[in-house]
Amino acid sequence: MRIVVAEDSVLFREGLTRLLSEAGHEIAAAVGDADALVDAVRRERPDLIVVDVRMPPQMTDDGARAARQLRAEHPALPILLLSQHVVRQHAVELVPTGAFGYLLKDRVLHVDDFLDAVRRVGAGGSALDPALVGALLRDDGLAALTAREREVLGLVAEGWSNAALAARLVVAERTVETHMRAIFQKLGLVDSDDTHRRVLAVLAYLTR
Amino acid sequence: MVGVTVRRWLAVAVLAYAAGVALQFAVSPPDAAARALVALSPTVLLGLLVGWRRPASPAGPALAGLGAAPALTWALEDWGASYATAHPLPGALLGAYLGGGGWVLNFAGFVALCLVFPTGPLPGRRWRAVPWAFLGAAALVIAVIGLEPLGYADRGGPLPGTAPLPLGIAAFRVLDVVAGLVLLAVLGAAVAALVTRYRGGDDLTRVQLRWLMLGAGSVPVLLAAGWVAEFAGAPIAVAYTGFVAAMVLLVPAAVAIAILRHDLLDVDRLLSGTVSWLVTSLVSAGVFALVVLGVAQVSARADDRVGITAAAFVTALALLPLHRRVHAAAGRLLDRERTVMVASIRRFVGAVRDGRAQPEEVEAALRAGLGDPALRVLLRLPGTGGYVDLAGAAVEVPLENLLPLAARDAEVGALVLGRSTARRRRQARELAVEARLPIEVSRLRIELRQALQDARTSRARLVEAVTEERQRLERDLHDGAQQRILAVGMRLRSVQRTLAPDGPVHAELDAAVGGLEATVAELRRIAHGMRPSRLDEGLAAAVGDLVRDSPVPVDVRVDDADVSEAAATTAYYVIAECLANALKHAGATRIGVTVRPVAAQLHVEVDDDGRGGAVAGFGLTALGDRVAALGGRIEIVSPAGAGTLVRAFVRAGV
Repeated sequence: MRIVVAEDSVLFREGLTRLLSEAGHEIAAAVGDADALVDAVRRERPDLIVVDVRMPPQMTDDGARAARQLRAEHPALPILLLSQHVVRQHAVELVPTGAFGYLLKDRVLHVDDFLDAVRRVGAGGSALDPALVGALLRDDGLAALTAREREVLGLVAEGWSNAALAARLVVAERTVETHMRAIFQKLGLVDSDDTHRRVLAVLAYLTR
Repeated sequence: MVGVTVRRWLAVAVLAYAAGVALQFAVSPPDAAARALVALSPTVLLGLLVGWRRPASPAGPALAGLGAAPALTWALEDWGASYATAHPLPGALLGAYLGGGGWVLNFAGFVALCLVFPTGPLPGRRWRAVPWAFLGAAALVIAVIGLEPLGYADRGGPLPGTAPLPLGIAAFRVLDVVAGLVLLAVLGAAVAALVTRYRGGDDLTRVQLRWLMLGAGSVPVLLAAGWVAEFAGAPIAVAYTGFVAAMVLLVPAAVAIAILRHDLLDVDRLLSGTVSWLVTSLVSAGVFALVVLGVAQVSARADDRVGITAAAFVTALALLPLHRRVHAAAGRLLDRERTVMVASIRRFVGAVRDGRAQPEEVEAALRAGLGDPALRVLLRLPGTGGYVDLAGAAVEVPLENLLPLAARDAEVGALVLGRSTARRRRQARELAVEARLPIEVSRLRIELRQALQDARTSRARLVEAVTEERQRLERDLHDGAQQRILAVGMRLRSVQRTLAPDGPVHAELDAAVGGLEATVAELRRIAHGMRPSRLDEGLAAAVGDLVRDSPVPVDVRVDDADVSEAAATTAYYVIAECLANALKHAGATRIGVTVRPVAAQLHVEVDDDGRGGAVAGFGLTALGDRVAALGGRIEIVSPAGAGTLVRAFVRAGV
């Protein structure tokens, strides 16, 4: 994939580009602030952007705002936000649109998981940090779910497919299917066999 | 123009006086002429002095006229008197006809003075009749006395022939009385002109008129008294000395005081003090004498020394209270305004001392006392250049009518008078001395208030600075340390990928990265302790985080509002502390958290159904300090066994 990396910390940016390059991706541009990011995307038309939430010029949520702007300009552009800590509001708008990831920066140390998330987002899927999912799951409407169903829901929200879920939970895929049906019924969602659409339905519910 | 007219009149009066004196030297015995010179010159000189110092005031010519009129009158009398002597002067017969009642012309200058003093124009149109009335009265008096039968040769008088009017003595006595009463009425009218001016005049005019009124009023009174004395058999000279003396001494003295010196001498107080000492001395002497006499009467054997000692003792006992009372009484009588003013201020000071009035009301008290609604009390605070008013607000200092108040060497403030005359300034200064206690207390209270306000603001600034500092530290941790550690971690991972997955170094690197990861988590936890980063999303989100892990149900109702970072953080810590207390100490089974913005405050309430009885321990005290630093406060309601309610009112200040 051709990737644009936007991260103001030079050390972290270099680590990130190296990681992604070694994984076989092409770094189209590596920039240090939100404005340069917007320019680079317009110029390079990358397959994915990896964006730090807090960046110059204002050092608040410039990265998140630039990401929302780019999503409006290029609706299909996959976006992976990186953040020091979870801020729900940065994700709420982008989560239900798909091709979106939101990870704490620590996750890059689990290189394989991180690269997997990059791949999922690049393919139009989701990759949400468990901490963000935790924040999203604090909805009172989830009271009807059992503990196991909540766990499954959280993992779905992180972006996993049923098969990957079954592997993580060490259960049969059919069991996961059963949980999913129950969850969809309780939350009043329309079920689908397509993993992407299924995840999006869950995320739309969680961020509404 | 006015000055020119005044000077012309002054010249006329002085010339008249000179002519009168010259005539006296020509027609009278030298000693009589010298007496006139001595008696009248001071008045005329005074008129000249006033005319020189106050060129615009008609008082100068009027004063000179006051001296000129008797000079001419006496010359006229002596001219007429020479008819009966061995060497009659030319035309002495006419002088003899006119001279009997000529004394009435003595009053010409006096009437003029009363009518024009102190500003010139008559007090009203009606008063124009007074000079004419005086001329009529004078003519009447001269005619009545000139026609009196006893003055003619057939009755033994100096005038030749018989009386021209066929009226008896009794009828002339009636005419005498009528003429006298008419004259008195005219003189009374002249004095009334002064009273009218006094009533309508401003402060300065009143001061100037007060003493002239006294002196001028005495003239007709003494004239009438002279008639009574004459009727009672006193010699004419004695009977008439009184009003002449009043006219040429009292009246000029009063005018001189009013015009020239009243500011300097401050006669009101001088007179009241003198009178009170005089009365006190007299009464003391009387008491002394009475006691001596009484002791002698009671015991014939007691010698004088016992009486004198007793008298001295009694007098000494009586002296001080007596003087105080007499002084007050004299003050009331002679300087009524001042006494009333001082008493009103003393009452106010007493009320302040008893707590019935606030010291800051001193301005109103001084305004009422001095009758000056525009008066202002300004205070000077140490270490500041300008003045403040009684509310502590800085004021522009007007340059006019400013009366500085000093205590010892330092200036404590100033009075600004709405109307300023020398007398008012003196009174204001005196009242300010009486009111120095409330003024000083007001000043101290303002200082205290400002110091307290300064302390509060600086405390709030400190809290805000601390909050900002925490925010900065949190960012530094996130943006600096954490990122660097992650970068190092990524390098290690990078290296790790080049190694064989089952080698010992591979596992070692895994452990190292694990350690870094734990460090980052720890840093995040520390940063969160400094300032919950969820506050970025608002107080509601942060509180939601806080209650999520609570083992008992928590009803949260947080109305998010636009509040300052410091207020949000403070509210957050109040809630966190109270939740911890409710869970740890109170054994609550239900907790409620409410946050709502009310006006410029954030009302934070945390209640539980625990065992209550909470006391303001260290945690709550520290919270209270924190809230108070932002200008808020904390209430704790915690009866034993009935739950705890903590209310915090935090200033929202954006």
